[in-house]
Amino acid sequence: MNQRLRTTTVTKRRMRTTTVLTYLILIGVCLFNLLPFVFMLFTSLKTDQEAYAIPPTFWPERATLDAYTQIIVWSDFPRYFLNSTIVSLGTALLSTVLGALAGYGFSRFNFRGRGSYMGLILATQMLPGVLLVGPYFKLLSAVGLYNTYLGLILAFTTITLPFSVWMMKGFIDTVPEELDHAALVDGCTPLSAFVRVIMPVIGPGMVATIVFAFLLAWGDLLWALVLTSSDDMAMVTLGLSRLVTQFRVIWPQLMAGSVIASVPCMVLYLTLQNYLVKGLTAGAVKE
Amino acid sequence: MNQSLVSKALFRSIRLNTGFAFVFPCLLLLLLVLGFPAFVAVANSFTPVWSNVKTFTLDNYIKLQQDKQFWESLRVTIVFVAGTVSLHLILGLGVALALNTEPLGNWFFRIIAILPWTVPDVISGLVWRFMYDPTAGIINYFLDRLGVQNPYVEWLAAPHLALPSVIFADVWRGYPFVMLILLAGLQAIPKELYEAARVDGASVLQEFRHITIPGLSRMFQVAFALDVIWQFRRFGLVYNMTQGGPGNATDILPLAIYRQYFRYFNFEYASAMAVVLAVIMIAISIPYVRMMVKRT
Repeated sequence: MNQRLRTTTVTKRRMRTTTVLTYLILIGVCLFNLLPFVFMLFTSLKTDQEAYAIPPTFWPERATLDAYTQIIVWSDFPRYFLNSTIVSLGTALLSTVLGALAGYGFSRFNFRGRGSYMGLILATQMLPGVLLVGPYFKLLSAVGLYNTYLGLILAFTTITLPFSVWMMKGFIDTVPEELDHAALVDGCTPLSAFVRVIMPVIGPGMVATIVFAFLLAWGDLLWALVLTSSDDMAMVTLGLSRLVTQFRVIWPQLMAGSVIASVPCMVLYLTLQNYLVKGLTAGAVKE
Repeated sequence: MNQSLVSKALFRSIRLNTGFAFVFPCLLLLLLVLGFPAFVAVANSFTPVWSNVKTFTLDNYIKLQQDKQFWESLRVTIVFVAGTVSLHLILGLGVALALNTEPLGNWFFRIIAILPWTVPDVISGLVWRFMYDPTAGIINYFLDRLGVQNPYVEWLAAPHLALPSVIFADVWRGYPFVMLILLAGLQAIPKELYEAARVDGASVLQEFRHITIPGLSRMFQVAFALDVIWQFRRFGLVYNMTQGGPGNATDILPLAIYRQYFRYFNFEYASAMAVVLAVIMIAISIPYVRMMVKRT
């Protein structure tokens, strides 16, 4: 009785200190995480003159959407967005289709070299992009795919496919095998069992895989920089990077472009965060 | 029961080759767009620079060994990766522990906590570059407001400040991902363990040492491995913040290799540098690959 009483008072005191500490940490996190966003947003609403004022202002004195108009109406950014969307979507679809097939193969079948292939696919992430850019650049030039969507899509797939395979395998592992057994007994081929039985069940996981590949491609700069030459093939990341390396940087426009390029990413990541974590850590948390 | 036996036998009979058929398209594509270029890069690194005759030579590696800039880049890379990864882990763990107490407004805090990671690193680099701007940036503005004398610090132009500044920006960008993984790990630890420990009168530190750390170790390894791999490959953030400057102060290897390739067109030499980077990354991540494959 006495013992229990002591435990509860200790627990209470402990809870109070940890609660205070928790909220202190979380408020700090909010300030630290949000400040760059606030600065990005505020700068995008300033006039050119105000962005360069010394000393700088925090709140925009005269908020204006000029920078957005400049970016959307008077620059090539809409074209960059189109390019980024086409390339990222192409990458996401190719990567997820191949990744889903391979994930199904790895999840359900035992064949010679299964473990080695899985290790090999995972290990391809250890090959840095800069190892591949040179030969890949020459290879694409040789087959006439340099400065094309297809060339970019294939290149981005090298980054995304290993993730897609492992994520899809993780999601397929969570589906009971009895489901595809039943379909096979009913005369389905393994492929149609996969398409008709497994795919509907792992829908959300598949969407997460598509989105993750999409965002990896959307955010990359190296391949976009190396594999395109003409301005009408540039991706958003490249367009922004070009603006910042110019002699005179127009920060409000640059920040407006950054806001526009970030918002789709934020929305997609936040909606699918749980699936992304599950997919990326599949295999490490099982049991 | 009989039916399930039949189905199992049926399933087993098509297992052997079908499995490989499913995996084959993926392997083929990786072989073409990844295996082949990687092979060519390795082969190139053993041939002379700017030569049409492809003879075997170790020249590139010998030159690399004497190249002060290369060693400096390697040092910067290691400081960058070690600095960012350790800070990602420390901050990530701290915030994950805070969120795991399920505070009021959990949902809100969680969204804010993840936000920096959702932005492409290229854009984080741009935003931080402007924040670090000596005259127009927000950081010196705050220093000024706080009454610091001579607040026009050249965060990205001063050689001794540039790398820490870049690391700091990357910590902002990268720690939320580590936090997400560690939070998932924390949530997988059974609550009963803590309750039992509390009944036995364990202190917070004891709970942390004997329940949290062992329970989290596997997710910690995953977070560590993924983060190390990604940080070694980081390109866009530093490219947009400093392009490797001032001097070589922030010249991480991917930037140095990119320059050798596409500014100086020393393809063979660049390949040798990239091979060294790849070897380091592979050596570091072997335990991770082993762990992941063994568990499936």
